[in-house]
Amino acid sequence: MDALTASETSVRRNYSLGARRAAVSIVALWHVGFDLVATIGSWEFYRFPWLSGLAWLLYTAIGVVAAIALLTERPLRFGVWPYAVGTLAVSAIVVAACQPGDVVNAADWAWGSVGWLAMILFWPRPTWLRDLSVFLLANVVVTLVGLALAGGFDPLSLSKFLVVSVGAISLQAGASAGGHALDLAARWAVENSNRTARADADRKAADQVHADRLARYAEVRSAVAPVLNLLAEGADPADPDVRHESAVGAARLRRLIAETDDAPDPLLHTLRACAFDVERRGVVVLFLTAGTVPPLPLDVRRALTEAPIEGMARARRQARVTLVATPREVIVSVLTDAPSLPVAGGLRADGVATRVETENGGTQLWIESRWTAQ
Amino acid sequence: MDREPLDRPVTLAVVEDLPVVLDGIRSWVDADPLRRVEIVASGNTVDSVLDGAGADADVLLLDLELDNGVNTLPRIPELVAAGRRVVVYSVSEDDATVMAVLQAGASTFIAKNETREHCVDTIVAVARDRPYVPPVMAGALVAADGQTSRPMLSGREREALLLWFQGMNKQSVALRMGISEATVKQYIERARVKYASTGRAAPTKTTLLARAIQDGLITADDIIEYQSLAADNHARD
Repeated sequence: MDALTASETSVRRNYSLGARRAAVSIVALWHVGFDLVATIGSWEFYRFPWLSGLAWLLYTAIGVVAAIALLTERPLRFGVWPYAVGTLAVSAIVVAACQPGDVVNAADWAWGSVGWLAMILFWPRPTWLRDLSVFLLANVVVTLVGLALAGGFDPLSLSKFLVVSVGAISLQAGASAGGHALDLAARWAVENSNRTARADADRKAADQVHADRLARYAEVRSAVAPVLNLLAEGADPADPDVRHESAVGAARLRRLIAETDDAPDPLLHTLRACAFDVERRGVVVLFLTAGTVPPLPLDVRRALTEAPIEGMARARRQARVTLVATPREVIVSVLTDAPSLPVAGGLRADGVATRVETENGGTQLWIESRWTAQ
Repeated sequence: MDREPLDRPVTLAVVEDLPVVLDGIRSWVDADPLRRVEIVASGNTVDSVLDGAGADADVLLLDLELDNGVNTLPRIPELVAAGRRVVVYSVSEDDATVMAVLQAGASTFIAKNETREHCVDTIVAVARDRPYVPPVMAGALVAADGQTSRPMLSGREREALLLWFQGMNKQSVALRMGISEATVKQYIERARVKYASTGRAAPTKTTLLARAIQDGLITADDIIEYQSLAADNHARD
């Protein structure tokens, strides 16, 4: 399974903690509502009443320790078994405190209720079912031995013992199983919502890829459509204007291809790729850089390179391309003999300003795009 | 452009091992209508040039990467310590190379692509202990200044250097900035002087700073400030 997110973990924790609190409440209510009432109500019928009182206190002590450990999710000191043995001892002590005829009667409150305490003792253990079964079996043996020593192996006592044992054990094991089932249900719920979220994310990614692809097609179309239209309308490929439109379209395509390449310095890579293409047309390109370009988002890179690349593409004989970069500023400039540049500004980004001006008495075009950190 | 007449031509020694490059330099020197520079020695290595006719040359023009694989950068400190005015030229135009050359104490750096227009003017300026900033060096100064936490250049100096680097002539820079050509020259040269004071100390640099004060490019107070910056740089080394 994937790593759990914080919210998933908290869903599981809430379910788990709720079940633990319920289990502790059952034990507390039972111990006060039944055990205490039985101890006080049978006080005058005990052989050793103080022994029963002591057993109630021991049960209480173990219960408090086990409840704290369970609710705070900390392991018990000395492990779980000394406490389990102590709990079993509570059952034996109360048997010893009773008159022989009262074993498995109301005065002998402990043998039916130690199972509740055992439930919260074993609760956090992965082997809780096995451990609880062993404990409940041991309690049956202890009680049976007590019953035998008290000479109570009569049909009435035995059948009462069987009825109460089956009832208590099924309640205790059932409550424990129910609590753990709640935990399992929470895990399933989280896994299910994970699956849904993954499917959702996959769908969104596919939508994004599709949208990107459409945007790309649109860009490619707008990059080459004008020149293709010109040619389709019968324009002469030898006409210098047509040739320049073709060069501009090629430069735009080149930029679209270069900007998705995985290069260490994407801005420089894009400019170089375009300069290279322009050079192949016989234009003398002098490409000078100073400084290291900081990481820039794609929209800033596009806005920075759009006008300079158009300028390079329209160069007739020569172009001087410069890039100056500092951590807070990147300036791309082209000084070229291109006759003119259609009004740029299709691509905008925060912090990017572009200037296009004629230079040297109209013989040259100066283009400067400047990004300044906001 | 500095056109004040010299009483005699500047003597130049060239360390260059490619005959075609040497021929280029000769042709540019010969093409100067005022004949301000005269090549008195040339050779494959620094030692062969300085042991011979180049021993007393005013300026040493040094190719940074000789064709035999020798990088001459490590030789620069001893040459400038001996009082030589060194002009370095190179095919490497990146700002790191330029700044390394200036830090080593060279008077000026010229990229090979700009030697045609700038080498004679550079050599004449350096011979007079005046600053000269070819465009590629201007770009390197702007980039270097933007990277430090204590920029030394003013906004106007930066702007002038930037436009000069972008390929405009000084007249165009002046028009664009709305100032006189002389002021543009002053901005660019002052930037060079500011950076001269941060590198290694050298007799040529002291003369450069003294000339800069004489010419009113900077004041003596500026020097103290720049030298303290230089001291910082040394403390960091």
